[in-house]
Amino acid sequence: MREATCADLEAALAGEDAELAEVFSRHARSCAACGEELALAEAITAAAPSLRKEWPSPGLEQRIRAGLRAEGARKRRLAIASWATLAAAAGLTIALVARALFVPPAPTAPAAEQLSIPAIDDGRERLLTEQAAAEVDKAEQAYVRSIDSLSKLAEPRLTQSRSELVANYREKLLLIDSAIAECHSQIDRNRFYAHLRLELLSLYREKQRTLDSLLKEDPNAL
Amino acid sequence: MVGGKQDALAAFEELYQAHGARLKSLACNLLGNVADAEDAVQDAFLKAYRGWGGFKGGASPSTWLYRILVNSCYDAGRRRKRRREDASCQAPLELRPAAGRDHPLRLTLEAALERLGERQRTVFLLAEVEGFTHREIASILEIAEGTSKHDLFAAKRELRRELRGTRLASRSEAEA
Repeated sequence: MREATCADLEAALAGEDAELAEVFSRHARSCAACGEELALAEAITAAAPSLRKEWPSPGLEQRIRAGLRAEGARKRRLAIASWATLAAAAGLTIALVARALFVPPAPTAPAAEQLSIPAIDDGRERLLTEQAAAEVDKAEQAYVRSIDSLSKLAEPRLTQSRSELVANYREKLLLIDSAIAECHSQIDRNRFYAHLRLELLSLYREKQRTLDSLLKEDPNAL
Repeated sequence: MVGGKQDALAAFEELYQAHGARLKSLACNLLGNVADAEDAVQDAFLKAYRGWGGFKGGASPSTWLYRILVNSCYDAGRRRKRRREDASCQAPLELRPAAGRDHPLRLTLEAALERLGERQRTVFLLAEVEGFTHREIASILEIAEGTSKHDLFAAKRELRRELRGTRLASRSEAEA
């Protein structure tokens, strides 16, 4: 029959070997020093839950909600500023390209005139922007279709598994879908919003990565 | 989940409903007072909202939130140390231990915990006070499961040593 000695104290308290813990417990009944150590360990375990703190904080949830709303507003303001910068840069690029393509050089013109950028027809600029937006729409639709196919492949794992790992994936995908929906609602208000298009693309990429990762998980681990 | 901004907020509100109490308790035990704990929880939610795209699959958003909270508490603790503030662990009047769980050893244990290293204390609080598994702790603190087990064992051994000293001192006082 297995027996324990004072030398087994630390190993027994580590809790990795249930049989040793039981044998050591018998030893501790006849050894005052080990008995005291065991009692201390048990007292710590028993007292630990009493360290849990609870207090009412009715204002905290409101503070967090207000903070998140303010953060959302800040993000939108930043996005507007970024869009304005992007639009200005795009306008300048269009103007420079149009000048290079359509305006013949005027060798006799004074230097000051050579530096001036000719006015661009508003209709042409809008048309170019709409064409770009239409191409983005088309590419996005194709991307969404491929992600939908991935989602269908992943669906059995997401719906049938009760494992903690799959629950994590489900929770993350819900958050991503929520952010995609938020992004779409902002894009609906202005489809030429380049910054939001980039944000949406990064969200779709994140969803794709998450679905890829789920599909690569070992089925035995799910 | 559909519907946009309101749903993103709703998702974070759900996280608060599910984990708010435990997040507050952990922050309070790491920082020692209610005001700093509430600030840390608020800070953690804001950081999570700002950078949720950075978190990877395989860990749940709640685990990720606990990780952000622990790091926020470490940062706040270090800032406070730099400012040489009084890190008194005196609980305010409205603070109470979880119902039905008061224990005579609580104050001694709290004082002993203060003297533990940062990570050992966090592992002890997560495992023994908040009831996380070693797997969850490993994910929150981004350490190996074995490291979490070792830290908990080392923390308990150190706490035993502290409590033994306290008991011996009490006995000597009683005998004198």
